[in-house]
Amino acid sequence: MTQQVIGAPGDWAHAGGGGSGDTARPRRGRAVSRRERAGAFFIAPHMLMLALFMLVPTVYAIWSSLFTTKIIGGRQFSGLANYRTVLGSGEFWSGVVRVLVFGAIQVPLTIALAFAFAALFDAGVIRGSRFFRTVFFMPFAVPGVVASVMWSFLLLPGFGPYARILADLGLGKVDFFSSGLILPTIMLIVIWEWTGYNMTILYTSLKAIPKEVTEAAVLEGASLWRIILSIKLPMVMPSIVMLLFLNAVGALQLFTEPSILAAFQPQAVSFGFTPSLFVYNTAVGSGEYELGAAAAIILALIIGGISVAGFAVRRRNGEFR
Amino acid sequence: MSDSRSSRAAARSARKRAAERDQVPVGLYGLAPATSWVLTAVAALFAVFFLAPLVWLAINATKSQADIYSSFGFWFAGPFRLWQNVRSLGQDISGAGIFAHWLGNTLLYAVAGGVGATIMSALAGYGFSRYRFRGGNALFLLVMATLLVPLTSIALPLFLVYAKVGLVNSVWGMILPSMVSPIGIYLMRVYIDASVPKDLLEAARLDGAGELFIFLRIALPLSVPGLMTVLLISVVAIWNNYFLPLIIFSRNGLYPLTVGLSALSHGAETGSKAELVPVLICGGLVTVLPLIVLFLLLERYFRGGMLQGSVTG
Repeated sequence: MTQQVIGAPGDWAHAGGGGSGDTARPRRGRAVSRRERAGAFFIAPHMLMLALFMLVPTVYAIWSSLFTTKIIGGRQFSGLANYRTVLGSGEFWSGVVRVLVFGAIQVPLTIALAFAFAALFDAGVIRGSRFFRTVFFMPFAVPGVVASVMWSFLLLPGFGPYARILADLGLGKVDFFSSGLILPTIMLIVIWEWTGYNMTILYTSLKAIPKEVTEAAVLEGASLWRIILSIKLPMVMPSIVMLLFLNAVGALQLFTEPSILAAFQPQAVSFGFTPSLFVYNTAVGSGEYELGAAAAIILALIIGGISVAGFAVRRRNGEFR
Repeated sequence: MSDSRSSRAAARSARKRAAERDQVPVGLYGLAPATSWVLTAVAALFAVFFLAPLVWLAINATKSQADIYSSFGFWFAGPFRLWQNVRSLGQDISGAGIFAHWLGNTLLYAVAGGVGATIMSALAGYGFSRYRFRGGNALFLLVMATLLVPLTSIALPLFLVYAKVGLVNSVWGMILPSMVSPIGIYLMRVYIDASVPKDLLEAARLDGAGELFIFLRIALPLSVPGLMTVLLISVVAIWNNYFLPLIIFSRNGLYPLTVGLSALSHGAETGSKAELVPVLICGGLVTVLPLIVLFLLLERYFRGGMLQGSVTG
């Protein structure tokens, strides 16, 4: 992407076809204006959908979040009261802290595993790597709901095959759904779901490294481990940073896995176990839509803030193009 | 692009390239043969980790409810009930809803939304790639910024708007927002940048061809592999979408598979409707199979999209 700063946000309306308020340019460059109109025509359908299904709802949600619906008195303007309620809720913040801890452990683990196997498959030191790559990628085809259901049965205390195997190994009864183990259990499920996807992306990036680079390193006497860690790892760093980013945003939105596990072990997954669950339970569960909207906006701001910080770091390191 | 050459030549050169890459360096690394075997064994262990749940799903789809709990999960037990279980997918057991309807809904949402997303992405990707117009870059940055908007934060606002305009419990409420695909636009833009030559478009213009004609007859045919990638990525994303349909649908006749299965799991696990367990497991298998088949058949298109995403991202 080439970065060119063109005009101010006010120019958007013109591109949308409306054309208001700028007369600095002569209107009649016929070929140019025909082209401009054609370009606007091609992007118009998507921009219209984006406006209708993203911008309008967001603005409306912000507006709604300023109201409160009371049993007596109906809908009333309440200013920032909903935001104060959410920000003052220990339940909400404990969910935020939980997904931050979750992400801080799950994301590096997933990417480290993904990179290790991608590098080994790329180097060709593992036999049958084609088969392995396909198998590792398969969980990506499994919806989070189905993955959570499968793992719930596999880990079911007492009945599940994994719990049985652990018991047979003499490790006693392990309750994967107890409140102490529920978060690691969810990490296990999420790592199962996403390692192959990350591995595939890193594998494709590693394949793009010219063979000559590796050969030169081999001739210099570098070991395989040295080549992987000191030469290839820095070369795919942009991909790793991008994945860190995508995985972190995903981890902060954690919803599907805990919501399915909640059916199995209601006491382990609380009302605000993750911020997304808080939003869902507040809005749909309790019917407090305005409060839920405020929580959704705060969650979006938190994720947006982390994303922007990530971009800033990338740009400072000269990685962002 | 190698895509446009005959597939046999491409396959041959790919194999040759793989052989060169795989054989020459491995010997040079000077690894002890034992190391290679140990690494392969570790990879095999992880392969078991990744495959085991799917194997479990396939085996337990053949069991009765009692056997699912009482027998060992990784082997068959009791009467082979796969066909009965599949048949029960067409019935409404305990009033939770009918799996076959959910399958039909998911197919409708995924195909309509996926095709729509592909058309929108092709149009917009082409517009951003091959035209310069005022504010174009700002709009492109806006589109890319929507990548960062968390889905869980947009679903509830959508529901609030739907409640106002009467789109709650309407299939359009699911299909239309699924057509907004910033990643699709990004992929199409990158693909068209690389594979639709500007000179070709200029030549057509000099011959008097209209802009739409140029897009349909010249740009689109050159972008088919990119279109396939966007279509596949969109279909998978819609197929697996859970949060949006969970919030906007309250009638179980409109549920896609993901929401339907979660309703089944809530019913099955609270113990009140244990007869739903075989439906849940067999349904899970039927949900997963089409996508796995799609993956195995069209793997290179998935990888094509990821390559672009990673190299230029």
